[in-house]
Amino acid sequence: MTPGWLRALLVLLGIAALFAVPRLTGNEYVLALGVSFATFSVLSGGLNLVYGYTGLLSFAQVGFFGIGGYTAALLVTEGGWPLWAGAASGGMLAALVGLVIGYSSLRLSRHAFAIVSLSFAFLCMIVARDWVSLTRGAMGIPGLPVPVLDLPGLPWRLSRPADFYYLLMGFAVIAQAVIYVVVTSRLGRAMQAVKLNEALAQSQGIDPLRYKLLALALSALLAGIVGGFFVFYLTIVDPSIFDFYYTETMLIMVIIWGPGSFWGVLGASAVLAALPDLLRFTTDLRMVLYGAVLIAAMLVFPGGVGGWLRRRHLRRWRRPSLAAP
Amino acid sequence: MDAGFYLQLLLNGMVIGVIYALVAMGLSLIFGVLEIVNFAHGEFYMLGAMLAYFLTMNMGLGYWPTVGVVTAVAVGLGYVLYEALLASLQGGGFERSILLTLGLSMVLQNGAVFLFTTTPRMVQTPQSYTNIVVGDLRVTLMRVFALALGLLAFAALYLILYRTRVGKAMRGVAQNRDAALMVGIDPRAVSRLAVAIGIGLSGLAGAALAPVYAVHPLMGFSFVFKAFAIIIIGGLGNIAGAAVAAVALGMLESVIGGFLPLVMVDALVFSSMIAMLLVRPQGLFGSGVRV
Repeated sequence: MTPGWLRALLVLLGIAALFAVPRLTGNEYVLALGVSFATFSVLSGGLNLVYGYTGLLSFAQVGFFGIGGYTAALLVTEGGWPLWAGAASGGMLAALVGLVIGYSSLRLSRHAFAIVSLSFAFLCMIVARDWVSLTRGAMGIPGLPVPVLDLPGLPWRLSRPADFYYLLMGFAVIAQAVIYVVVTSRLGRAMQAVKLNEALAQSQGIDPLRYKLLALALSALLAGIVGGFFVFYLTIVDPSIFDFYYTETMLIMVIIWGPGSFWGVLGASAVLAALPDLLRFTTDLRMVLYGAVLIAAMLVFPGGVGGWLRRRHLRRWRRPSLAAP
Repeated sequence: MDAGFYLQLLLNGMVIGVIYALVAMGLSLIFGVLEIVNFAHGEFYMLGAMLAYFLTMNMGLGYWPTVGVVTAVAVGLGYVLYEALLASLQGGGFERSILLTLGLSMVLQNGAVFLFTTTPRMVQTPQSYTNIVVGDLRVTLMRVFALALGLLAFAALYLILYRTRVGKAMRGVAQNRDAALMVGIDPRAVSRLAVAIGIGLSGLAGAALAPVYAVHPLMGFSFVFKAFAIIIIGGLGNIAGAAVAAVALGMLESVIGGFLPLVMVDALVFSSMIAMLLVRPQGLFGSGVRV
């Protein structure tokens, strides 16, 4: 096992390397991949908190992402709010909505929650497309202005791709730190207890509903904020922000290596954020491929590749020695 | 606004409600027996409609043979689905089953988009423009056929579940898996049949609605959204509840759709599901769930 200080050093070096990228290269393609990684890492990290640690399969994450995006875009363009406040409000609204759908369905069962979360994501897209007076329908809200962040001392105009790289990567680091602190704390252990055995957790004085709602609200908050930042990077928000493509991508990021593994999900996010651009498929075929990956993963690696390796390792360990007489 | 207008809306709503019921009952049956929520259920409805389109428009098959062939194919697909994918789950993997069927749904839906594009197609039959007029009411023959097919399927499902041994076995497994196993019911055979019937109903629904609405690869996804709401409102795993909720929803939707934009109808479906979960989590006809 690597000692704690070495690990912390490696993490700090990794973060420093990520922030050095825009100084080393002005290549917009590399920066775009970085922004994509930062955004997806927040989404998949939140989903990992809900599904990997707390055991709730959720399809609502993309809904929170889009709610954050629409809220921030509307508040900034119509209300003249600063981006900070817009994104923060988007995150809080997403968390509130998350609590509503979570409270109503989780009282019944995890089954009901999975169904309701999928319906919720679908409803978000319909509302964005058809509630024209608020969301401007299928055309969305194009031409979002260049946002200015009022940092203490100097205003920061986010006009270059590198600025968005810094913003989203910075937020991703904060979000991952929050997730890491939660999952390694007492809260995270309680969540894992709820996932492994709800009845036993309850008998130990853990209120399952409270921890489920906490995980859900936190992941919704992070997804909503990152959605608010992301739409200003795109400079447009339209109903495609609720596209099922996001849900599939983050699901695969979470399950491919192993749900409930912090570093595994982060690594899978990095690989898969770069992958779609390496494999230039048409969108439909890419979705078919993702679906096939899901099926294969569920049939062959139900615990993810990481879980499979660990199990194999354990089996080899437990095998009776052949050398015995 | 006279009474005839409302009656017309109610009648249209009843047709669509009966078709919702076919899809939702299959979904509920599969959940009741296997404890699996089949997220790919809507895709089989879509496949049924697509197959019906190709059989009538390209092969020149008549309406009734088409319905028969599509239903038979869907039942066969149900068997294949169970044997190839669901059987290996062996219970205890609720999340796995969802992700598996979701993956299947993605493959089927996007595969269909890739092969057939999203262009809506209309099934034209010689009877497409035949109307039946009773007093002020005017219904296309195709809607009447869809209604008749739906009611026929209701009756058949009822007879299977309540008048045959295997139906009794299915209800037994749905009520209590372990006890059913103990009295010698083979859960595998029962599950296989439940999936085959469920998928068959879905395919039948697709074939029945193909001549009424446009056929396209994305039709299953939005349809199953409503079917989910229906099985929650009717009580998870409760087949009769799903049927009643489906018909009620179809009529409500049709009446409201006569006055309000479509988005309100979808929002209404979703909010009634949430309201039901808050007020009566066991569903309309459920017999008590601890929350």
